[in-house]
Amino acid sequence: MSEWLESAITRARGINDWLAPKRAHALELLSTTKWPTRKTEAWRYTPLRSVERSTAKVIKDVVALSPVDIAGLSAIELVFVNGKFDASQLTKILPEGLSISLGQTLENAQQAQALNAFSTIKPERHLFGLVNDALAQDVVVVSVAEGVEIAQPIRISSLLSHGAESHTRVQVSLAAGSRLAVIEDVQASGDSLNTAFVEYDVASNAYLEHYRFALQTGTNVAIGGSHFNLHDHAKMHSTIVGFGSDLSRLDTDIIHAGQFADAKLNAMYLLDGKELFDLHATVEHAMPNGTTEENVRCIVADRARAVFNGRIHIHRDAQKTLAELNNRNLLMSNTAEINTKPELEIYADDVKCAHGATVAQIDKQALYYLQTRGVSRSKAQVMLNFGFINELIDLMPNAALAEWIRPIIRERFSQMEVK
Amino acid sequence: MTEQIDKALAREYEAGFVSDVESETFEPGLDESVIQRISEMKGEPEWMLEWRLSAFREWLEMEEPDWALVDYPKIDFQAISYYSAPKSMKDKPKSLDEVDPELLRTYEKLGIPLIEQQMLAGIAVDAVFDSVSVVTTFRDKLEEAGVIFCPISEAIKKHPELVKKYLGSVVAKKDNYYAALNCAVFTDGSFVYIPKGTRCPMELSTYFRINEQNTGQFERTLIIADEGSHVSYLEGCTAPQRDENQLHAAVVELVAMDNAEIKYSTVQNWYPGDENGKGGIYNFVTKRGICHTSAKISWTQVETGSAVTWKYPSCILKGDNSVGEFYSVALTRGRQQADTGTKMIHIGKNTKSTIIAKGISAGKSNGSYRGLVRMNPGADGARNFTQCDSLLIGDQCGAHTFPYVESRNPSAIIEHEATTSKVSDEQMFLCRQRGLDPEKAVSMIVNGFCKEVFKELPMEFAVEAGKLLEISLEGSVG
Repeated sequence: MSEWLESAITRARGINDWLAPKRAHALELLSTTKWPTRKTEAWRYTPLRSVERSTAKVIKDVVALSPVDIAGLSAIELVFVNGKFDASQLTKILPEGLSISLGQTLENAQQAQALNAFSTIKPERHLFGLVNDALAQDVVVVSVAEGVEIAQPIRISSLLSHGAESHTRVQVSLAAGSRLAVIEDVQASGDSLNTAFVEYDVASNAYLEHYRFALQTGTNVAIGGSHFNLHDHAKMHSTIVGFGSDLSRLDTDIIHAGQFADAKLNAMYLLDGKELFDLHATVEHAMPNGTTEENVRCIVADRARAVFNGRIHIHRDAQKTLAELNNRNLLMSNTAEINTKPELEIYADDVKCAHGATVAQIDKQALYYLQTRGVSRSKAQVMLNFGFINELIDLMPNAALAEWIRPIIRERFSQMEVK
Repeated sequence: MTEQIDKALAREYEAGFVSDVESETFEPGLDESVIQRISEMKGEPEWMLEWRLSAFREWLEMEEPDWALVDYPKIDFQAISYYSAPKSMKDKPKSLDEVDPELLRTYEKLGIPLIEQQMLAGIAVDAVFDSVSVVTTFRDKLEEAGVIFCPISEAIKKHPELVKKYLGSVVAKKDNYYAALNCAVFTDGSFVYIPKGTRCPMELSTYFRINEQNTGQFERTLIIADEGSHVSYLEGCTAPQRDENQLHAAVVELVAMDNAEIKYSTVQNWYPGDENGKGGIYNFVTKRGICHTSAKISWTQVETGSAVTWKYPSCILKGDNSVGEFYSVALTRGRQQADTGTKMIHIGKNTKSTIIAKGISAGKSNGSYRGLVRMNPGADGARNFTQCDSLLIGDQCGAHTFPYVESRNPSAIIEHEATTSKVSDEQMFLCRQRGLDPEKAVSMIVNGFCKEVFKELPMEFAVEAGKLLEISLEGSVG
């Protein structure tokens, strides 16, 4: 076991709050968990040196940080600063049918319900998920009442000052027939370490629109997960945009717990420098008639490393499932690295499942063609890179977010160079 | 419909008989003295014994791999006998006339007559029975061409310079748990050397048979194709029907020098156990080849037997412009479990690899494709294409795909595709509408599914493969 984990466990033992039974359970599991090595399948390509060496500390002092402004986006703000929920930044008047509360302030009955639901969607095996269970400072509970459509998206921002360590946790539940959009974002300013996990329970006929931005770069360690439980006829549409850092790891789990659920996941990650980004996307089809469509695109430049593990698991009862995964990767330099593993595990016969993965570089002829038309090499490269992922940006349902992310991505591309 | 499909796929295990041959078998158990005795029985030189013992010491330190999607009770390595040979083989018969007729009858029953006149022209056979090679046919004819084809125990004595140089050069002693075990206790297998610029005049073939109870078979095959040579090698295997599980842990090493080509085909038909999963062979095999400049290694396998299969024939594409191919059909039924696939390691420039893997799962079985494609930084212009298709028959089986794709070279191109489907009602309807009975229809659909792989097999093997799947191959063997 690493020193880092030992110290985390020691700190967690000192916490005693409403989550005590869940925390105790997580600690029990942690005490028997081996620190991952190259031989640990889930961390095969992602060494945890940066966690072991991290100097990040929990900062108790009050720090004033606020999320970036996104033009045209009017969101309900839910802000964590260095892991503490900042009530002062929460939108004052919430739409009817939406409630956002801190776990420890919930009334007894609701608290008991939240406690029951805590950590039931996130898979137990995730080491840092357990760390988050044990150490999460503030747990925020969001719920949407039956049949209510919330027009404004909720933006969950986790903001970290330099050298800060934070563990944030949000539980979101959408009651039957409701609609909600949630944006998850982490902003950190170097030498930080954060784990950020969100669990979503999407009841029958509800619709969840989801975004996760993992745009912190540099010397930050960011480990997190978005976990979804879909009931009958529930729908979700998720978009993930990631840049790498010293260590960025994101796990998404989509569980088809009801019939006729529909999940779409579009992920793109663009890495430069010595960055590392690792996306583990798992889809569990536990019930019949579900559909899943995943598109994952990745561009890796310089000395960066990208890891993708796309697992689709069709359980024995999940007949008539349609599941597709498409993974395309561009390598831009001789020192960059892509490790991808699309997995299918299928136990039902009347299903249609497929996955495809490709790794290549920017088409040299296309680059040449653009240059003959007077476009500079670097501009041509940005154009072609953009073409590779633009399709997925176009699919983002929220236009303001798409407009906001486009120039950020363009800027990133212009820094990348074909070597 | 499922019933009809099951019927079409059901077949008796024809090779399940036991031959009544008096054998000399070691007591079960494994320690250094057992390895010394094996080495003694084989009359091996000192260096070989040392090599075995060092592998054994490595093995003791290693852990059994558990990452494959297979489930079986822990193997008791002390309950296995590591050497068994027919008594009649002790005097080393000089010609076929001196070989125990019961042994010859065994092979004849399996459809492999060892009397040269009766054989299909153009195939030389090395027949391995439990721990020893019984006979190697057509040796004179091969010697004329300069080809060495003999049991590996003989090669250790007669060609120590070749064996010393290449044994363990592709699969290192401590490569993995079962390979290390094999290094320590291997008993026989085939050795092939094709001299420079030679095209081997006939197909070479080894037929492995496990007969004795409580034994494991640990064979070792080493094929060296010198510059510009060509060889096609076939391997077949069967075992009696027994209630206990038997371990088969083989190592195959291929060396293809510059411009050489090795084609290695396997029809694996070890006893798969009964429909309740009782008995059957554990087939834990390490097969790997190295390709030097412009060389080519092609693996073709039809896997229908074994209770548990753990097998990844691989290519190390070291030389520029070298080519690796892997064609596989893996059929699992009853309670069989197969975790099989390949590794293509691209090191040289402009190296190419093709992987076509077809999995058919029926009954309560599980079949997995597990593969690795790695492009090293120096593999400029390298290319890989992978296609994995799975066919599920019935709702109690499983089909899985675990491809690892690792690229560190931007000019390398990798494509991977995988699909999973079932024999659809529409396909069945169409065939039946054309007057085919249901069994024929299933045969035809399954056959069409596997066609890409069957066409890579040498003719005789393609026929055997077809028979194994109980499928008429009319008009589809290329």
